[in-house]
Amino acid sequence: MWIFILKRLVQGIFTVWFIATATFFAMHNVPGDPLLNDRATTDVIRANLEAKYGLDKPVMTQYGIYLGNLLQGDLGISFTQENREVNDIIRDHFPVSAILGILAVLFAAAGGVLWGALTAIYRNRWPDYVIMFLVILGISVPSFVVAAISQLFLVNVNGLIGTTVLPVAGWGTVLHMLVPAMVLGLGTMAYLTRLMRSSMLEIISSDFVRTAKAKGVPPARIFAKHQLRNAILPVITVLGPSIAAITTGGFVVELVFAIPGLGRYFVQAVQQLDYTVIMGTTVFYGAFLVFMVIVVDVLYGFIDPRVRME
Amino acid sequence: MSSVTAANSASLLEVEDLAVEFDTYGGIVQAVRGVSFSVEEGKTLAIVGESGCGKSVTVQSMMGLIPMPPGRITSGSARLKGHEILGRTIVNGKEIRGSEIGMIFQDPMTSLNPTMTIGDQIAEPLQVHRGYSYKKAFNEAIRLLEMSKIPEAAKRARQYPFEFSGGMLQRAMIAMAIACKPSILIADEPTTALDVTIQAQILDLLQDLQKETGMAVILITHDLGVVARMADEVAVMYAGKIVEHGMVDDVFYRSAHPYTLGLKEAMPTNDPSLQHELKPIEGSPPDLFSPPQGCGYCARCPYAMQICNRQQPDDTFLAKDHFSRCWLHHVSSSNKPDQLYFKEEAK
Repeated sequence: MWIFILKRLVQGIFTVWFIATATFFAMHNVPGDPLLNDRATTDVIRANLEAKYGLDKPVMTQYGIYLGNLLQGDLGISFTQENREVNDIIRDHFPVSAILGILAVLFAAAGGVLWGALTAIYRNRWPDYVIMFLVILGISVPSFVVAAISQLFLVNVNGLIGTTVLPVAGWGTVLHMLVPAMVLGLGTMAYLTRLMRSSMLEIISSDFVRTAKAKGVPPARIFAKHQLRNAILPVITVLGPSIAAITTGGFVVELVFAIPGLGRYFVQAVQQLDYTVIMGTTVFYGAFLVFMVIVVDVLYGFIDPRVRME
Repeated sequence: MSSVTAANSASLLEVEDLAVEFDTYGGIVQAVRGVSFSVEEGKTLAIVGESGCGKSVTVQSMMGLIPMPPGRITSGSARLKGHEILGRTIVNGKEIRGSEIGMIFQDPMTSLNPTMTIGDQIAEPLQVHRGYSYKKAFNEAIRLLEMSKIPEAAKRARQYPFEFSGGMLQRAMIAMAIACKPSILIADEPTTALDVTIQAQILDLLQDLQKETGMAVILITHDLGVVARMADEVAVMYAGKIVEHGMVDDVFYRSAHPYTLGLKEAMPTNDPSLQHELKPIEGSPPDLFSPPQGCGYCARCPYAMQICNRQQPDDTFLAKDHFSRCWLHHVSSSNKPDQLYFKEEAK
């Protein structure tokens, strides 16, 4: 087990290195540079700034310096936000994104498993049709539309009741988190519902469920002990990438709900070609994704004994 | 219908005129078309027939294991110790499945839950039906594994199905099925998925356990060798009906139905004195979407007469417990092939 985790960690480090390298060279090949805005007004200022940030050195040298700093955990200083270290940006804003993301994933996983199991059990009857219709809706409607509609809904509800039941935007309390988390997790929940449905349908007609019935095990126990645990395996497999995708892909929802998450900085940095912030957030997100996949693989082993042994 | 069941009113299980249909996209499949048999305490009844003849559906419908819909029990009854069990799983407040009737299946590799330990799975019916605590049930599971001749049972009980071989899994299945000491064990092709040496061991185990516990066994198989070894009584099924039924010796040595004869001729033997050229039964079973008006075997039967195509034959009793459902046995039939057994006076 430990060897397995160690192996995956080493693989993960290579993956992160590859992400860093690819991002670095892709970024440097994009036309323009971070000094193109109003800061570098004259050639002298530009030369000074380039020297300060090390942009006058050859690209390969910059790459070497960057990797050296990365190994020491130093992601550098933002080019556009003065004197702000990338490490600080991540430290300040990632927890917000992470909390939002984790809530969204919990919501998506619980909902996906529940709805998926339900649609499979009520296959081709009305609960199946209703839920699957909503699932198609959840997959095809973009999150900013859902976000805006849910805000409109909240405004009306709050107005109707006369007091703020749930805040429409902002960050700070658990109440602030609920609606954005649901909106953010909706697409993933819809996807997981479909996955769980097909997996559950397979399990329902499997031989070992028939065996359990032949043993006289009551339906509720068959569901909990025989069906759910086996049907959930494919859902867990995609959970790792889902966590990362939700956490990193939340910037639209963060923007609509005015949540101070990391996503906004990520997008801004790309627009302004803020090299260090692009690199920092990309590498950080990459490492986070790799880590989540490893966590899920380990988790998988606990649920499926066949994986544990290998 | 059959008077075999009526004659033995004290049977453990009496199935009468059972018929099962399935709705499919192609239409309604009449998988079982009026089947009657009885099972005596401590005895073994073998139900023999080729794939798709309805033998598995017969027992699975009794156990409430066919999905409904699309399945449907259209007629019949099954009485266990006098209580109707068809279409219900609980009789007198007690669950039948797993406690009164145990069942094992064809493919042990897929019939056990891959994410539960063997011991937990064997303990489960004890917890459910007997209200045993987990610990007590698990210890009993270990004892049952020992009874099923699994070495190092205590260690094995903590393992998962993927750590067992096919034969071991079938032993575990048997241990699970007999956990609550059922009065009937249904074995649905228990050795089909296993290789020959393991088959023999599993059959031995079943016989030993039957002797120890006194349970009756319903053995579903298409292997006449297994029948000869295990059965007291045999029911030969074809196209959803029982075409011949009798004591094992009657059916083997006094075969009265052309289909039984066909099966025997298609069976290989390792006894040189019985060596014969294997003769396959030509053709394929009838389409059960629209079952034939007459005898189901008519199209493949070498002795078919005109009447066979038009009208269902009745049971003809050749002995108290031996009947054949074939027009050849009708009093007005002059066609009496030598290969088949007929009542003395009919000759």
